[in-house]
Amino acid sequence: MLTALWNNLDYAAPMMLFLIGLYAVIAKDNLIKKFMGLNIMETAVFAFIMALGVVDGGSAPIIDHGAHAPFTNPIPQALILTGIVVALSTTALALSLIIRIYEQCGTIEGNELRELG
Amino acid sequence: MVSWPHWLVTIIIVPLVGAVLTPVVGRGRPKVIPIWALGIMTATSLAALMLIIRVAQEGPFSYLVGGWARPYGIELHFDEFSASVGIICLVGWLALLFSYHYVAETIPARRVPYFYTLVLLNLTGMIGFVVTGDLFNLFVFLEILSLSAYALVAVSGEHIAEMAAFKYLVMGAVSSIVVLLSIGLLYSVTGSLNMADIASRLAGVEQRLPVMLALAGLAMSFMVKAALFPLHIWLPDAHSIAPSPVSAILSGLVVKVGVFGLLRVYQIFYGAGTYDLTGLNTALVWLGAISIVMGAFFAIFQEDIKMMLAYSTISNIGYIVMGLGLASQYSLIGATVHIFNHALIKGTLFLAAGAIIHKTGYRTLTDLRGVGKAMPVTCMAVSIGAISIVGIPPTAGFLCKWYIALGAFQAGKPAFGIALIFGALFIFIYYIRMVNSFYFQKPTHPEILEVGEAPLSMLIPILVLATLCLVMGILGRIPISFIEPAVIRMLGPFGG
Amino acid sequence: MEVVDIRPILAPMLSLVCAGLIFLTGRQAFWRRMWSLLAAALKLGVVMSMLPGTLNGTIYVFKLTDFTPGIGLGFRVDALGMFFAIVSSTLWLLTTIYAIGYMEPEESKVRFFGFFALCVSTTVGIAFAENLLTLFLFYESLTIVTYPLVIHEETPAAFKAGKKYLVYTLIGGAFILLGTVLTYHTAGTLTLSKPGILTLANGTQTLTLLFVTLIAGFGVKAAIMPLHGWLPTAMAAPTPVSALLHAVAVVKAGAFGILRVIYNVFGVELLRQLNLTVWLAWLAAFTILTASFIALFQDNFKRRLAYSTVSQLSYIILGAALLTPMAAMAAIVHIANQAFAKITMFFVAGAIQRKTGKTSIREFAGIGYQMPYTMGAFTVAALSFVGVPLFAGFITKWYLSLGALEAGAWWFVVVMIASALLNAAYFLPIVYLAYFKAPPGTRFHVDEAPLTLLIPTVICALYVIVLGTTAEVPWMPLSLARTAVQFFFGT
Repeated sequence: MLTALWNNLDYAAPMMLFLIGLYAVIAKDNLIKKFMGLNIMETAVFAFIMALGVVDGGSAPIIDHGAHAPFTNPIPQALILTGIVVALSTTALALSLIIRIYEQCGTIEGNELRELG
Repeated sequence: MVSWPHWLVTIIIVPLVGAVLTPVVGRGRPKVIPIWALGIMTATSLAALMLIIRVAQEGPFSYLVGGWARPYGIELHFDEFSASVGIICLVGWLALLFSYHYVAETIPARRVPYFYTLVLLNLTGMIGFVVTGDLFNLFVFLEILSLSAYALVAVSGEHIAEMAAFKYLVMGAVSSIVVLLSIGLLYSVTGSLNMADIASRLAGVEQRLPVMLALAGLAMSFMVKAALFPLHIWLPDAHSIAPSPVSAILSGLVVKVGVFGLLRVYQIFYGAGTYDLTGLNTALVWLGAISIVMGAFFAIFQEDIKMMLAYSTISNIGYIVMGLGLASQYSLIGATVHIFNHALIKGTLFLAAGAIIHKTGYRTLTDLRGVGKAMPVTCMAVSIGAISIVGIPPTAGFLCKWYIALGAFQAGKPAFGIALIFGALFIFIYYIRMVNSFYFQKPTHPEILEVGEAPLSMLIPILVLATLCLVMGILGRIPISFIEPAVIRMLGPFGG
Repeated sequence: MEVVDIRPILAPMLSLVCAGLIFLTGRQAFWRRMWSLLAAALKLGVVMSMLPGTLNGTIYVFKLTDFTPGIGLGFRVDALGMFFAIVSSTLWLLTTIYAIGYMEPEESKVRFFGFFALCVSTTVGIAFAENLLTLFLFYESLTIVTYPLVIHEETPAAFKAGKKYLVYTLIGGAFILLGTVLTYHTAGTLTLSKPGILTLANGTQTLTLLFVTLIAGFGVKAAIMPLHGWLPTAMAAPTPVSALLHAVAVVKAGAFGILRVIYNVFGVELLRQLNLTVWLAWLAAFTILTASFIALFQDNFKRRLAYSTVSQLSYIILGAALLTPMAAMAAIVHIANQAFAKITMFFVAGAIQRKTGKTSIREFAGIGYQMPYTMGAFTVAALSFVGVPLFAGFITKWYLSLGALEAGAWWFVVVMIASALLNAAYFLPIVYLAYFKAPPGTRFHVDEAPLTLLIPTVICALYVIVLGTTAEVPWMPLSLARTAVQFFFGT
């Protein structure tokens, strides 16, 4: 079991990270912490997809004089580039919302916000 | 003459570019902005109309962006389900028209250009979502529309709008990440991102676990987007606090994206043909049934009309999802047609509610008593919408009830048909409260009787949608015969 | 022989257009009355113009559009539908005249007359429906458009009545929808043009379930006990509405639906094999007697009439459930007989209420001295319900008894006789009270209700006698009922 986990560390680790993030999103009351959880989840997924594209001993998929097969799969990298952009904009939006909430309510603790109704 | 498939790109490019340019065009000329936005949507709608005509005549077609062949390039695929662009353009256009006066009077002037940018972006995202043939693009468009939707909820600047938007954002973002994860899983086993390609490769995949995980992930996150009970908690606040034209778009269209996503997932897995989807189907049918009842149940206790409408959306999503889960020919037809019809109905209701709240300044049933005498046309539209959403023939809402109930018998699960028919009665309870309050009860605030009708820019969208609620009920055969071949093709060997 | 003709759709459309015109221009009393009367008269004309053809066996059809693929929004005029349409459009004309007089002091008249017209539009739609879905469509619409009429007074009692009415009828509607779906699923068609679309091959269990579902659905409006609860409560409505609800549109829509289910969906032959209608006949007999008993103890005049309606409606159900030609004829012809007699009574109730403000029977003592014509009309209607020969009610009872004997069920004849006695027991005391129990010193002093109330009342009463005396004259309702029965029983 453990050996299997170790051999697939590149998949197992992002999964762990993903679950940690999910825990933070669900269990934390502070909006910033909640959002950090979300960011951890995003990072975990990015790492996971990057790991898919890795080929042992592969080189960067750029046709160059020194290039030689096998190449690393470029598609996941392209995807994650887009994914990071998306995550960035989500973060920006969320942070601006949190600032607005703080300006209006004076707190970003979930339980206190609920009391404010 | 540009060749046909290029139109497919225009319906994404035009609103996208239009959205980005809105603040630039509107700089110093605030009056131009709504007209600009309407113009952009008109162009998009015309292109969409031509595409729909073509798909009706010749069946599905694809466009390879940049000419790269499948599976390397990006493919746009237009099938009968993609004809949803029609309803997206229609409701979007009418909501923009409705915004003409509404936004100018309710939203701070400096935010107005960004409001239109966000609406156009949101519509772009949805259009892209339904026409893309590529899973990763599906994710990108999903994010475009989700992000703009979160921002639109907050745009009104009302007291708890930001809080609602944040709640929506957290749930939405988590589900989006899960979508991405599932796409990654599917890519890892099939090595492809093209939906049709994945469908054909899935049959040969030996490791079932990642595939099933991906299926579960996709289904789960689309359920969040569709606000299926118990994953609906973000919806009522977000939909009721957003500005009314936005509520119409969110409730009529954006939640449907979740359902549409489920539909695409089904297309992939039915296409693969070797997966047993009974578990997912059962889950969907049950969750659908529970959503119908719980949505109606919560709606009964609402005093705020927009809150009531928001909960009724949950019920209606329940219908659609139940139709998907029953997975018989009739129920799928009913579900897909209801995606379209519910957008019309909920559009009518939210826009009319918006007009009423805008004119009177009140939003609870008690405060709004007697408004039917002051705003007869708007309230007539509300009545038509109410009758329609309960599914009294000959309105648009009836078709889905008829087809999904028939589909339940066809699938050999008559109990769900019965649940559906009687669940609809539950919904009637709160709509009758609304009609009673508008028409038959003595006003709480007598000054409400002095309020006149909303300006034409608000009235016309309401009337157009209300008329369509009736017309689409009587002419139900048109959408049904349009979607039927696609459903039969999708069910393929399973065709029940 | 089927003929495509625009008239089947013209009839409901006329009332629909009329409703639209009333909503638009109805603020002026002149236009409101003008449109109501004009549409009522025109519609009666349109319906009557189809009568000769129908009697000759011509079937007028008109298909508007395909509602869903394969199921059209279609209209079809056969003898049974024609019968119902004639009754409702004749009574619409009379009730409109009456309502113009009666509603004079009321509020929201535009709404009242508008929905009144819609109500009749949907009723004719039910009569002419070509298939079960079209029928359901109009049946549900009828529920919706009568709601504003029921709660017209806008009092808490009216809202309560309205709510009860909606809950009952919409649940009934849901059953019908379920039944319709199941019918389509089993038979693959919904047409009402054949004497029966289901066959024994569909499986006894499914058929039983289907029968119960459909009868339970239509039984709500037909007020079969125990589904009758909404009807007495709905008395909160203004009298013309009660008249329309109880005599013509709503309750008859339910009864008509049951006739359609028995004759057109299942067919006589199949039901005989299934032996399903026996319990329905017993339920109807139970309703006839129980409702009469309850009526005995009602002091409010309109409530007594309501329970009498519940009882009378089950004559139609009983006639249909016996599955013999004679009984079927009684069932169909009772649609008209009960309608005219009961609407007379409601008109009387309304006239007395408007004139004297009296609603409870105790106060009626000596009213015959003040309103002799009105009470005369009431007497005619009462005698008809008792089943005295020469009055319309006798025809029903006669054929129904013959039908019961034909079916070999003599005990229903006993029910009939008991019901006649009960009818006498709760209607004749009113007559007695009005004429012979006048408080001492009452003078004969005619002070009648306005003519707009009186004339429709008297016409209806006269028609009750006409129906009772000229049953065998060609072109009278009985001949139409006979045409219908010949089709259903294939003789």
